Amino acid sequence: AVQCDVLLDDVTESRLLGLVEAAKEHIFIYTHRRMAITADDVSLEDVIPIDLDFAVVESSPEELVLVADTRVRVSYKDESLELKLPFGSHSRRFLGEVIRAWSDERARSSGPAPTDESPVLAVPQLGLRDNLIRCELLKNEDLYIYREHFFFLGTYNVNGQTPKESLRPWLSCTPDPPDFQELDLSKEAFFFNDTPKEMEWTKAVSDALHPDAKYALQVKLVRLVGIMLLFYVKKEHAEFISDVEAESVGTGIMGRMQGNKGAVGVRFRFHNSDVCVVNCHLAAHVEEYERRNQDYKDICGRLQFRQADPARPPLTIMKHSVVFWIGDLNYRISDLDAADVKDLIGKKDFEMLHAYDQLKRQIEEEAVFVGFAEGEIDFQPTYKYDTGSDLWDTSEKCRVPAWCDRILWRGKDISQRHYRSHMTLKTSDHKPVSSLLVVGQIKRVNGDSYKKTLEEIVRNLDKMENECIPSVTLSKREFHFEEVKYMAHQARTLSIVNDGQVPCQFEFIRKPNEATYCKPWLTANPPKGFIAQASADVDLEVFVNRTTAPDLNSGKQEMEDILVLHLERGKDYFISVTGSYLPSCYGTPIRVLCRLREPIRDMPRESLRQMAEKPLDIPKELWMMVDHLFRNAIKQEDIFQQPGLRSEFAEIRDCLDTGAADSLGGNHSVAEALLLFLDALPEPVVPFAFYRQCLECCSDAVQCEKVVSALPQCHRNVFNYLAAFLRELLKNSASNRLDVTIVTIFASLLLRSPTKQDLAEKRKAREFFQHFL
Amino acid sequence: MAKQYDILFRILLLGDSGVGKTCMLRRFTDREFDTGHISTIGVDFKMKTLEIDGIKVRVQIWDTAGQERYQTITKQYYRRAQGIVFVYDITSESSFQHIVKWATDVDEYAPEKVQRILVGNKSDEEPRRRVTREEGSKLAERYGMDFFETSASTSHNIDKSFSRVTELVLQAHKRDVDNLLGSLDDYLNKAGLDESGQDKVGSIQRVCGCARIF
Ligand SMILES: Nc1nc2c(ncn2[C@@H]2O[C@H](COP(=O)(O)OP(=O)(O)O)[C@@H](O)[C@H]2O)c(=O)[nH]1
Ligand SMILES: [Mg+2]
Repeated sequence: AVQCDVLLDDVTESRLLGLVEAAKEHIFIYTHRRMAITADDVSLEDVIPIDLDFAVVESSPEELVLVADTRVRVSYKDESLELKLPFGSHSRRFLGEVIRAWSDERARSSGPAPTDESPVLAVPQLGLRDNLIRCELLKNEDLYIYREHFFFLGTYNVNGQTPKESLRPWLSCTPDPPDFQELDLSKEAFFFNDTPKEMEWTKAVSDALHPDAKYALQVKLVRLVGIMLLFYVKKEHAEFISDVEAESVGTGIMGRMQGNKGAVGVRFRFHNSDVCVVNCHLAAHVEEYERRNQDYKDICGRLQFRQADPARPPLTIMKHSVVFWIGDLNYRISDLDAADVKDLIGKKDFEMLHAYDQLKRQIEEEAVFVGFAEGEIDFQPTYKYDTGSDLWDTSEKCRVPAWCDRILWRGKDISQRHYRSHMTLKTSDHKPVSSLLVVGQIKRVNGDSYKKTLEEIVRNLDKMENECIPSVTLSKREFHFEEVKYMAHQARTLSIVNDGQVPCQFEFIRKPNEATYCKPWLTANPPKGFIAQASADVDLEVFVNRTTAPDLNSGKQEMEDILVLHLERGKDYFISVTGSYLPSCYGTPIRVLCRLREPIRDMPRESLRQMAEKPLDIPKELWMMVDHLFRNAIKQEDIFQQPGLRSEFAEIRDCLDTGAADSLGGNHSVAEALLLFLDALPEPVVPFAFYRQCLECCSDAVQCEKVVSALPQCHRNVFNYLAAFLRELLKNSASNRLDVTIVTIFASLLLRSPTKQDLAEKRKAREFFQHFL
Repeated sequence: MAKQYDILFRILLLGDSGVGKTCMLRRFTDREFDTGHISTIGVDFKMKTLEIDGIKVRVQIWDTAGQERYQTITKQYYRRAQGIVFVYDITSESSFQHIVKWATDVDEYAPEKVQRILVGNKSDEEPRRRVTREEGSKLAERYGMDFFETSASTSHNIDKSFSRVTELVLQAHKRDVDNLLGSLDDYLNKAGLDESGQDKVGSIQRVCGCARIF
């Protein structure tokens, strides 16, 4: 389980997530109180099954962060959740598990990977990089030089004694100094807690190390009472040792708490090998060999080393490529009485004796130390002597001699140079044992080529990563629309070809300080999408309507825009869109039109904003339409009721804008064009500023007249002109079948509300206009 | 210790169109050089891992469109950069003169702490040189920037200039980086040792608090 934040729009809320396996795996989402301690503090909120409809994508934060919380989007069918998991191994591990469950699920279904429905945009890189580098390095054998390393292992049960003699005969018995020394100096004593003695033994050991080399003490362990492990390494090797960890376990029921039996272990990394040394002291007594077997298994199971990287599971002994196991294993010689044993020892018939050695037998039966090797024992048993002598135990117990003190190993390329006891030492009732092992598997790195290779690997990874940045090619970077006219739709196709190595998600994004991703006269359709492999087409559409026309007509705005096409986790592309807009009377204010003696398209753009000498009474475009209708359509049946033709509208617009003298078109089309003209006026015939006033006096004819007479002159002219025209039309209502609806239509166009018009206002507007008909 | 976190910096290449920004980036990340010029329209980026003072740094290098008309948009990307490489072309007087304008824009839009260097590219084109080394180095001095002449074509000084700007950024953010790495190590160590999850959340949030410094 893991704590996380769920991002809901702007707020974040804390939840607990659990990964639960029940037939299939599920993520359980719990709400919780501030600090969830007991089960009552949490309650189940939601369950997300991990199946084919499930997806988890790790999103990279847009803003730069050094170390980010991990953000993931978990989706199931159409729903998705943004989660923020706290930085750290715990979250990584949880996500790792979720992703494992998810990929298992997909593997199980074995169909083709889901494509369009579940946009798996990126393989989540959960700490992948370091692992990749490690794997790559391991593969590259040329980097390494193999060299033999000598490990000196010694075990000496000092039986609680203080050092009384030099340990040199034991520790410096090899002609050359070994690379490593791992020494067991265990003591047979309950609750042994005599630190001065530890110090003394440590000093005795240091003094007795091989005089031809300098050693550094790496680890001194006295974790369990009575078990002491010293680990020395030649100074020159020290820098190649890393990840040193030490652990201990007690064995037996009470052992866990207080035992003098159990094991201590040290692990470390030396060049590229993981080495583990276990020193144990197993259960005593001849008949207890099965307990000793059990202690061994217990130690193997429970002695675990944490890893430097907390995301990785702890290492057990057997995970190491080199394991040394030393100590007073306490296996005895059984089924022979003391006299027979001593007789065989006298004859140096150790081979015969081996047959009675419990450890040899147990190993043969694979009951213990499976996979371990032990060298030939051709020294006499190391237990039990009368302290201070080489005499076998003369106490009344008169113990049978035994090879209690042993040294075993496990791993490839390990051979033994010697395995012996050291009879000259007489301090304890045990004799020390030593073994010199040669380990050939340790590969040390060839510094220079390692560095080069590492750089190479990192460069390749960078390259791979760069290749995995989503990338596309665009069919065109610049779009130009010729002759863009009012209410005339134009479209061009932009093809986006995915030329990258990964599927990509594209979206036109907003530029800073702009409300939308493009100008209002432009749309991209679709504005976002997903390209698995091939390509996607986006239509860029241009359409100028009554909202956008005024600024384009006046030249206040040019038809220019830059679209920013953003690829998720990838680059941004700029696409420039321009158009040559042909100004129109549609969307041009009455005031301006009255000053245009020439057709609007013939006018230089600047002049649209300048004053001409004497204005026209009304816009000539308005006159052209009304005049046409007056001459041709005064008796036209269903005039202003029947819709016009789109194609005719385009012609009428062009006639008006270019001043072409031809007949405008069909009556219905002209009628509609007139209405569209009124609708497109940026400032209605009754300017917005007069709107309220008109509604307030709508029941009073005189007041209404007064308001109209106060309108700006060109607006007043237009108003009166249109009213006169309508009166003419209404006179002919017998033929053209006009009724009051025409009043409503015109009223709503002449008196437009600056905001939204409600029904009551509509009624008042009509009442106002009615006075003039 | 296997560190599963990286330090990430953003570095921006700025300069007139055609001075060789895209080529420099390609040379640095892919060790390749193209003679063709396809003008960058938009913003492109590549990743590169560098080791500086034993710290693994990943830089995200942004290559921008140099054309005038895109500049209102590209300026918005300055905000996110910790390092800026101003590039001119030693065979083009105007590209050198424009550095002043680029630098002014950066003063206006980029974060205060931003680290800048000046690069005169195409140093292989000695015969066609229009801007002397001294002029370049003088301008750099005036702005308090380090100066390099580079060639994307021969690789001359390419690695060096990118490493330098990264180094400067690292130094400028040294305290934050130390805090961050320090507290991370603390955190990782603690996380391994104590099994009680309770106060971990607190320490994580502290870590991330300083992670947001940039
Ligand atoms: N001789 C020479 N030519 C270069 C060098 N760098 C770039 N170029 C050329 O200059 C042109 C523009 O390069 P490019 O990287 O596209 O410029 P950008 O617009 O700044 O990205 C290309 O034709 C390159 O081949 C260089 O170091 N030496
Ligand atoms: Mg470029």
